Amino acid sequence: MKKVLSIFLALVMVVLCFAACGKDDANKDDGKKSDFLVGAVYINSQNDTAGYTFAHHNGITKAMEQLGLPKENLRIVDNIPEDTQQVSEAIDKLANQGCKIIFGISFGYIEAFAEAAEKPEYADILFSHATGYKSNDKNFNNYFGRIYQARYLAGIAAGLKSLELGNNNLGYVAAWGTEYAETCSGINAFAMGAQSVNPNAVVHVNKISTWGDEAKEKAAAEALINTYKCCVIAQHCDSAQPQLVATDGKVFGCGYNSDMTAQAPTAHLTAPVWHWDVYYKLAIDTAMNDPENFMSKVGIYYGGLKEGFVDISPLSENCTAETKAIIEKVKAMMVGGEWDVFSNVQLSIAKDGTITKTTAALKDNKGAEVISADGNTYFAYNKDTGALEAVDGGKDACDGVIKGSMNYYVAGVQEG
Amino acid sequence: MSKVKDPFVRIVKRDKIHPLLKVLFYCIAILAALTVGGVLLIAIGVNPLVLYKDMFTIGMLGSRFAYKSVEGLITIFVPLLITSLALSLSFKMRFWNIGGEGQFIIGALAAATVALKFGESMSSFSLLLLMFLSAMLAAGIFGGFVALLNVRFKTNETLMTLMLNYIALYLLRFFGETQAPWNFYLSDESVRPVFQKFAETAYMPTISIGKFSLNISFLFAVAICVGVYFYLKKTKHGYEISVVGDSANTAKYAGMNVKKIIVRTMFFSAALIGLAGGFYVSGAKVLSTSVTNNVGWTGIIVAWLSKLNTFAIFGVSLLISIMQYGAQAASTQFPIIDSNFADLLQGIILFFVLAADFFIRFKLVFRKSAKKQGGKAA
Repeated sequence: MKKVLSIFLALVMVVLCFAACGKDDANKDDGKKSDFLVGAVYINSQNDTAGYTFAHHNGITKAMEQLGLPKENLRIVDNIPEDTQQVSEAIDKLANQGCKIIFGISFGYIEAFAEAAEKPEYADILFSHATGYKSNDKNFNNYFGRIYQARYLAGIAAGLKSLELGNNNLGYVAAWGTEYAETCSGINAFAMGAQSVNPNAVVHVNKISTWGDEAKEKAAAEALINTYKCCVIAQHCDSAQPQLVATDGKVFGCGYNSDMTAQAPTAHLTAPVWHWDVYYKLAIDTAMNDPENFMSKVGIYYGGLKEGFVDISPLSENCTAETKAIIEKVKAMMVGGEWDVFSNVQLSIAKDGTITKTTAALKDNKGAEVISADGNTYFAYNKDTGALEAVDGGKDACDGVIKGSMNYYVAGVQEG
Repeated sequence: MSKVKDPFVRIVKRDKIHPLLKVLFYCIAILAALTVGGVLLIAIGVNPLVLYKDMFTIGMLGSRFAYKSVEGLITIFVPLLITSLALSLSFKMRFWNIGGEGQFIIGALAAATVALKFGESMSSFSLLLLMFLSAMLAAGIFGGFVALLNVRFKTNETLMTLMLNYIALYLLRFFGETQAPWNFYLSDESVRPVFQKFAETAYMPTISIGKFSLNISFLFAVAICVGVYFYLKKTKHGYEISVVGDSANTAKYAGMNVKKIIVRTMFFSAALIGLAGGFYVSGAKVLSTSVTNNVGWTGIIVAWLSKLNTFAIFGVSLLISIMQYGAQAASTQFPIIDSNFADLLQGIILFFVLAADFFIRFKLVFRKSAKKQGGKAA
């Protein structure tokens, strides 16, 4: 027993020695560095090496690095489920530490963030919530991006590949279908991009009904190849499984979230990607230097290709030089604000790169008009009655429809 | 027979142990756990002293809103305390209720149903009363059902309660993810499925002490703690529970209705856990699919670490809550420490305390001859 005790005591002493050394170093650094603290609530681990939390964490750390803030100034509470009570406690912990801006990256944090922003003791803290729809006019905003623009470009790459192969069937592994405007608008933009170069292209959607499940993603991609002989597999789900399946099936693919050429070099064409750091830099910079005007300067953020917030990963060697030229051209149109995807103007692009604009109503795959020919009315299906109804706001409803109420597929999309 | 060798090491039950030695064992265990944790922390470049200091003061030192830390601590302490107490009731009877998670969820779901259905039309007092009564009744039936099957058909209660956990969880998820006109659990204004927030009448009242607001459920939890103590120690029911726990046959010969005792106790146990669920949602003001925060599992650990002693349960669940809350509060400062590491640290501490517990009850006796050849054996 004595032996065991003495070993423990010795260990304790060693720890104390080390600890004492460590403390000195920490103190030395503190003086010089800025004391602006950034807080973040994550849905998964901050030490993830891929996926949604990783993308945000990367974005925040990159933005802080560019702004000259030391790493230690980022305070994180991670692995927080979408539970209002637990999120509120996480926010309290970050506020306790003195964070001046707090980011929440998951949709289900919405209520806790909305509540925290209204608390009088938190009036000097800014709250910023990804993918949400709530905000106030003092210290609470939300942010998301026009990823559909990048998906349109990926659709062009896929459409040109289908022309080259003489196979009009494109596959799409989707987390959800028309249930969520986010997935729905992505599928539609991809289909419209493909149809701009190949009017006969058909997008087969295979829905897995979860945001991430590698086994289901794999099975869904395999089914698309086996059932419909799809020649390109696009995806709106977390992992690179669909691209690996595309590699095995000797077909092509468009990934999502990160450049998946690394995982599927022979199959991958290009992937729609997020540059979260673009937003985080703007938000942290404003919070640090001009917090009073945060809502007027940053406000409800919906960046796109123009801001560099969304983009496609560099085209892989599986794409031709013509593909690159066409995509550059269409991208320039969206960056310049000359044209956007969900409007009454559709593009048709010849192989030589000539772009023809056609003004017409946009129709869904049941033949109903979802954007009127004059571009002034947007429609969506009523959830309860199932009837197609005009969305209030006329032309200005566009972003709201893409973010929240789009629940139809455009012509040429088939689910199942 | 005498030729058969003694085993190299034997585990022998201790007859008696000095209370001070007991305390010493626990202290050594915690110190050893912190040392192991400290070595790991140093290995990843974190100063353990800073982390431990923040952990055991739940991050209150130098914080902007220290009172919020106490509020947060109480939020996780109350459900854990009530659940552990409730579990100790059935464990005392040697009835292995590991369905705390499911019973908690059913309680929360029942309370939420009442809150969402009648939130607008009832006064706060009667609404809360109805919420908590229905939480107790629903969870009590959910748990009592298992006891009924056990005494009627001799089904295995461990398996039954375990599997019912998943039924309850997936039921809750079903309500949380199914968008349909009938589903009043979900909010109307959100496109994605989100649980509907309760009306204000369903909020758990709080007592303001300066800036600090004390959730009333804390007072109830303390009262339940005292109540369970008296129930187990001073009532006929409590005596019956301990007799059934020692030996069901003895209880039978003594003329006790064992079946009735089992079903009744399990009903109370589950009902209390359901009440904890009701308290929790009423404080959280909204349902969620992770409503239990694992109290059904942690409660088992608390109950056993406390040796089913009611007041020890109070202390142990408080310590575990401090550890949980503190570990998260402390880890926010260090970019490298995520919540998994905080869990790991808690795991190490629990492991060492359990080991100490083992050495308090048992001692190792080494074979005399083996000691001489110890070099070889090692």
